[in-house]
Amino acid sequence: MAFKPQRVRDPVHNLIRFHADQFENALWSVIETRPFQRLRRIKQLGFSDLVYPGATHSRFAHSLGVFHTARMLMQIIQTHLGPQHFEPTKAQAALAASLVHDLGHGPFSHAFEDVGRRLGLKMASHEHVSDSLIRTDDVAEAFSKLGSGFAADVADIINRKGPKDIYDAVVSSQFDADRLDYMQRDRLMSGTQVGGIDFAWLIENLEIGTVPYGVDDTKVGDLETFVVGSKAVDAAEGYVLGLFQLYPTIYFHKTTRGAEKLFTEILIRIVELAREGSIERTGLSDTHPIAIFANKPDEIESVLALDDSVIWGSLPLLVEARDETIRLFSSNLRDRNLFMAIDVRERLKSQMDGKLDEAESLDRACDQVCVRIEEAVIARSLEAKGRVPSILSDKAEREPYRRFQESKGPLNQIRVKSPNGGLVDLGERSKVVGAIQTFKLYRLYVARDDQEAQRFVADLIKREAAGNVATH
Amino acid sequence: MSQLTDIQRSAESAADVVRDAGGRVSGRTRLQKTAYLLELAGVGVGFSFEYRNYGPYSEELATATKAASLFGVVTEEERITSWGGSLFVFTATGTGTKGCESRLALARAAASAHPVELELAATAAFLYGEGADDPWAQTAKRKPDKAAAGRLARAQSLYEKLRMMQTPEGLPMLPPINR
Repeated sequence: MAFKPQRVRDPVHNLIRFHADQFENALWSVIETRPFQRLRRIKQLGFSDLVYPGATHSRFAHSLGVFHTARMLMQIIQTHLGPQHFEPTKAQAALAASLVHDLGHGPFSHAFEDVGRRLGLKMASHEHVSDSLIRTDDVAEAFSKLGSGFAADVADIINRKGPKDIYDAVVSSQFDADRLDYMQRDRLMSGTQVGGIDFAWLIENLEIGTVPYGVDDTKVGDLETFVVGSKAVDAAEGYVLGLFQLYPTIYFHKTTRGAEKLFTEILIRIVELAREGSIERTGLSDTHPIAIFANKPDEIESVLALDDSVIWGSLPLLVEARDETIRLFSSNLRDRNLFMAIDVRERLKSQMDGKLDEAESLDRACDQVCVRIEEAVIARSLEAKGRVPSILSDKAEREPYRRFQESKGPLNQIRVKSPNGGLVDLGERSKVVGAIQTFKLYRLYVARDDQEAQRFVADLIKREAAGNVATH
Repeated sequence: MSQLTDIQRSAESAADVVRDAGGRVSGRTRLQKTAYLLELAGVGVGFSFEYRNYGPYSEELATATKAASLFGVVTEEERITSWGGSLFVFTATGTGTKGCESRLALARAAASAHPVELELAATAAFLYGEGADDPWAQTAKRKPDKAAAGRLARAQSLYEKLRMMQTPEGLPMLPPINR
């Protein structure tokens, strides 16, 4: 059978080639499936184009870029292991996993997952949907050209959610292909000038090192992963700082998050009405993809029929909804008339800074006050249950390094080769990296025309900040 | 006395896991898996779990534990282990859940178990709940290094020991490994 090469122009990597061999032709077949083509209609950054008009790039483009980057990383592994020890089958499974890792994302990815978490919808989890899509139907059939168990091997890599061996490091590590692509792509497409990385130099200086890993107080073994050569310490520092800057600049931007909050509330309300048997109050017909999802959220076909364009296209219907929350919030979203963001942590810091005794950490004091404010907001929301929400909360944190949830150890660090060949944490070599604290945000979004809610939040912050200072 | 808020309640629930386990839990994995098994056995408080790198994991529990630390009802101390990672030790004083001896027994047994074997046992139980036909084999496939050196067999024994404890719903019986 003759294989055909394929080429794609990409704004980040220029030419992405799919070579004329069995493996890459099979991947091209995967790209041609309906689930993968759907990624053209899922934007990588969700609502970010409400802030950065250029940030309209798709998960489709990102997925191709991840595969391209993964192939570069795999070359490092191949060189390190040599022909005797390199295992092409494992490498191919990891490369395929890098291509399809985002297959299950729903519209406005993280906001959609939020809906799932709040309503207990399994199919709103992109990992669950990815797993199902990879193991069945079109995608599994395309992968079957590489062996009957290949699709399962690919799904298993994604399911592990952590590295098992050096091949997995391409999919999950401090230098995985996903992050190396999205950092460049999101920066380029958004137009922000912060967060740049020296990609070529990083790739040139990535090496393989062995780090211990364990569970709680017990060591399990050692694992090979990517480490940074001693000549790229500055590039690694820029990489960590760049990612850290992209969070407040792009991913946690107040306007983007504000739009996500409205979208989440709309979708939750639609599902609630569907559960009550009142879908007609949403403005959608029974056959609309969102109504089908709301009525049958556990079916893969329901999720597959949803994408960003379906959501945007539904707004003219939703603004006619009989349900007030859906009607108002859809109108807000359509016209970019978003709620006003109040950065609680920033306000607290400005009110409490310099007023605590020296031993008291401002950050911890803010954490405590934020919890009290959150309690008051929850109590107010409960009292107002049944009415259109007037205050929406947003809380998030970001550590400088990738964390594997329960663990904190060498796998969670960026290890740098020292001149004597040993490995040290980048935080020890770079004072600025060592000093990075977890980025935390706590914002309250308040309806712009609701003076009472705005006063409530302002008074609450003032009162709680003063109360905290008085107790110290 | 004022009523507890939702956040205080969940912080107290996290503290109760520690209290019921004897007032001290060494490690985030032990804490998470102990809480998971309590939920599975019908003596939990409603923390929801999803699959992560270390098996069943509850973001709600992690958040509640942070809140418990802020309220001062749980103390979290970080220690560096001999293998280079961090061990988080949780301590809590006071009385935990009252009137449920089986919860106390299960919490203590789980929290004092070998962390890797506990993770394997909780993972197998979770995968079974997700519809896995052969949860032990799947656990071994997902975590080959952890399942090696006889740890999978010991995890099965641990699970059986925990399952024999009389709890309202009882931990589900898992099919034997079929590899």
